[in-house]
Amino acid sequence: MKAMSKHEWQYFINNLIEEGSHKVIGVKAKGEKFVFGPLDSADELRLDYDTTILPPKKYFLPTHEDLMRYNVSQPFNVVHTVDESPRIIVGIHPYDLIAILQMDKLYLDDTPDDHYKAARKNTLIVASDIINVSQYSFAASMATHTIAPTRAYDLLVTDLGEVVIIDIGTESGKQLLEKHGKTREASEDEVIKVEVLRKDLASKYEKKVNIEKTDWPALLLKNYDHPVLKENSEKCLACGSCTLVCPTCFCYDVEDLLQLNGKEGVRRRTWDGCLMREFTKVASGEIFREKILDRYRHRIFRKGYYLPERYDFIACVGCGRCVSACLPDIADPSEVINTMTESPQSDEPTISFPQIPNTGVGSIDTHCLFVPASATIKRIEHLTYCETLYELVKDDQTPLGHQPGQFVQVSLFGIGEAPFSVSSAPGGKSFEIVVRQIGEVTSKLRTLKVGDKVGIRGPFGRGFDIDSLKGKDLLFIAGGLGIVPMRSLINYVLRNRTQFNDVTILYGCKEPNEFLFWDEVSKWHKREDITHMFTVDSCPEGVCWDGDIGVITTLLPKVDFNPETTKAIVIGPPIMYRFVIKDLEKKGMKDENILISLERKMRCGVGKCGHCQIHGVYVCKEGPVFSYDEIKDLPEAI
Amino acid sequence: MKPKVAFFDFSSCEGCQLQIANLEERIIDLVEVVDVVSFREVMKEHSDDYEIAIVEGSIQRPMDELRLKDIRSKAKILVALGACAHTGCVNKLRNEWPVEDVKKEVYGKASISDNPYFDAFQAKALDEVVKVDAYIPGCPINREEFIRIVTALVAGKKPSIPNYPVCVECKKNENICVFDLGKFCLGPVTIAGCNSACPNFGHECEGCRGYLEHAHMDAQKDVLKKYGLSVKQMLDRFNIFNYRKEGY
Repeated sequence: MKAMSKHEWQYFINNLIEEGSHKVIGVKAKGEKFVFGPLDSADELRLDYDTTILPPKKYFLPTHEDLMRYNVSQPFNVVHTVDESPRIIVGIHPYDLIAILQMDKLYLDDTPDDHYKAARKNTLIVASDIINVSQYSFAASMATHTIAPTRAYDLLVTDLGEVVIIDIGTESGKQLLEKHGKTREASEDEVIKVEVLRKDLASKYEKKVNIEKTDWPALLLKNYDHPVLKENSEKCLACGSCTLVCPTCFCYDVEDLLQLNGKEGVRRRTWDGCLMREFTKVASGEIFREKILDRYRHRIFRKGYYLPERYDFIACVGCGRCVSACLPDIADPSEVINTMTESPQSDEPTISFPQIPNTGVGSIDTHCLFVPASATIKRIEHLTYCETLYELVKDDQTPLGHQPGQFVQVSLFGIGEAPFSVSSAPGGKSFEIVVRQIGEVTSKLRTLKVGDKVGIRGPFGRGFDIDSLKGKDLLFIAGGLGIVPMRSLINYVLRNRTQFNDVTILYGCKEPNEFLFWDEVSKWHKREDITHMFTVDSCPEGVCWDGDIGVITTLLPKVDFNPETTKAIVIGPPIMYRFVIKDLEKKGMKDENILISLERKMRCGVGKCGHCQIHGVYVCKEGPVFSYDEIKDLPEAI
Repeated sequence: MKPKVAFFDFSSCEGCQLQIANLEERIIDLVEVVDVVSFREVMKEHSDDYEIAIVEGSIQRPMDELRLKDIRSKAKILVALGACAHTGCVNKLRNEWPVEDVKKEVYGKASISDNPYFDAFQAKALDEVVKVDAYIPGCPINREEFIRIVTALVAGKKPSIPNYPVCVECKKNENICVFDLGKFCLGPVTIAGCNSACPNFGHECEGCRGYLEHAHMDAQKDVLKKYGLSVKQMLDRFNIFNYRKEGY
């Protein structure tokens, strides 16, 4: 370890600031609190701080960040705005550094976030041992109060008053020190002082969690409906403060912002949080976690169960920021865990979350996650009064390469992005989506003409596993717009008919005029190798209709199928799933043979922004296609 | 064709229109995308031929109602500008008392009975009289938000205001919570979009942008009580910009 006098330390920091090759950021006072901010001089740096209002996360996932700039008239001359300016952040406490390492796992996984990656690469981290403990923190209980000795930092400093002791973590850190500072070897006495300081730190924490952090997941499983969740949620303002100040909350939203002239714009991401009411709202208006109780539980379970199951870390570092930010005093995870420990709802798990294979997201150009590929509208077909089909071709002439059941993000510069199921069968240069006019993107799509350009990202998600369907009897059950993703699979099956056994298609809508693809559907009449039945909930007087009348479940008794050899593919509104699945189960179908597709809000498409999460499951990655047994125990799924 | 825009005002301080006049050089950007045909605060000309009516102020009298309905019938899009138009703002505080008592208090023995200018009824926000297509909340409005909403209207997008509370912007701005400064804040229940203008300077949010439709008011009351406000003081605060006869 190295040592510097306080004077030499200040000289080192001032040198860094003056030399100017890096932007120097450090902890400064703001009133009686502290914040990370650009340093004008070493005098501003406060290594004695307890904690900062916001974590240093703001330098890796900024509160507002432009992902790209564009001109609407030349939409694909996108300026991909990755900030590559080098920075040094001085004074990051161990708990915040551990939070950054957790974020690395999410943001630098198989589909790395290029903006985050650039920020991490360009930032040198000078960590600091904690001198003064925040009264709200329980970091010692989370074993995040110290981080030495690791290589997670470039430098780690320990402020001993007259002397600053420095541990070198990386070669970059070493060079920084050699170039800008004057050090000597730390004496044995000084090294002991540092060790004692770290050892004694734990005893300075008054707030404690009464169980080991590794026991959080098992405890939460026993307490899915613990009264403390309900009691706290009744006091919760749902203001989002706890998530906004949290170093391990990584969720964001993306929006397009246009200049007044309507020409130049940016696509910007901003922090979002799962406590906010509209976090899970989809274009059709449905909100999947409308109750504050469900949102409150999601935050606690995400930290203590969902992320731990996936990444093997507890996504709470005990910094205490949520504790101090929460006005009704209900956000404190340590209190929730301690209450559950003292009086658990049950000694046995009250819920079981199934393991869903993390299948990855297919072919994605990981160079820039957010920049869409340009595609041209080749054909537009108005299917009904509000649904329109668009046939699209990527301008680089490569096929989309999708599987039935996958989705793409369609991007309109100046408006935004929205997810759409791919409706055409795999293969061929073009692909098709069907758009119902309900939101901003869909309304604008409606005004586009053949030859106009749209942006495409994807395909994303897990589609149908076609191999597992081969040789089986297939029972398709589509309700309303459910036919859109299902058509991709139906057309694949009809084209490769010999690979599958009996094929039955049941298709229901509210009224006859809502049926999509009527031309294609009519052709099924001529095929003798499929059985099909149509139904409507009701038929207005004077409308010609020769199918059944009644909800889709009324067709099921008319179908003769062998539950042992059949795979049922069910896609429709949530209410339909409940009834159809119940009837299929009654007929002896096993849950693993029932395949469904779920709709959720998708922003990133790669399991980062957090909006599509059902408990621990990212619908955009592990779905949208699931077998029923995978999601039947998830209370939020259907 | 640039859309034709007209500004109108009812009972208000006209400060929200002043905010627009204060856009200064950005006014030039504005008139490049819209054709301002009427704006009493900055121009003499007036035309009744407009697509977008931007209306400031609250409605106090039958003659106001008639005029507003006339504006509505001429406009394709009607925008409520500022708190008076959006919630009724402080103009609504007098709704606590019967209209006759208020008139007596204000005008005393003056002879006003036959004068339509004094024929006041209980104050109303615009949407209590006509359909409002978009709101630009605040007392005064936030100029950036005004630009954003006009940009959306010109681009044919449905303009929207945030669906989350001021706390979200306040946290992103890394402010010290004003409760920590010994003040009482309505930020947790108030519609964001002001970029937490008041807490940025250490002032409490007084709710001028209106409360979120699904604001958890009971939780907010518990917090204010915990920090030492009486029920009466609490109601007084809730009512300043968002008077509700039935209380909170």
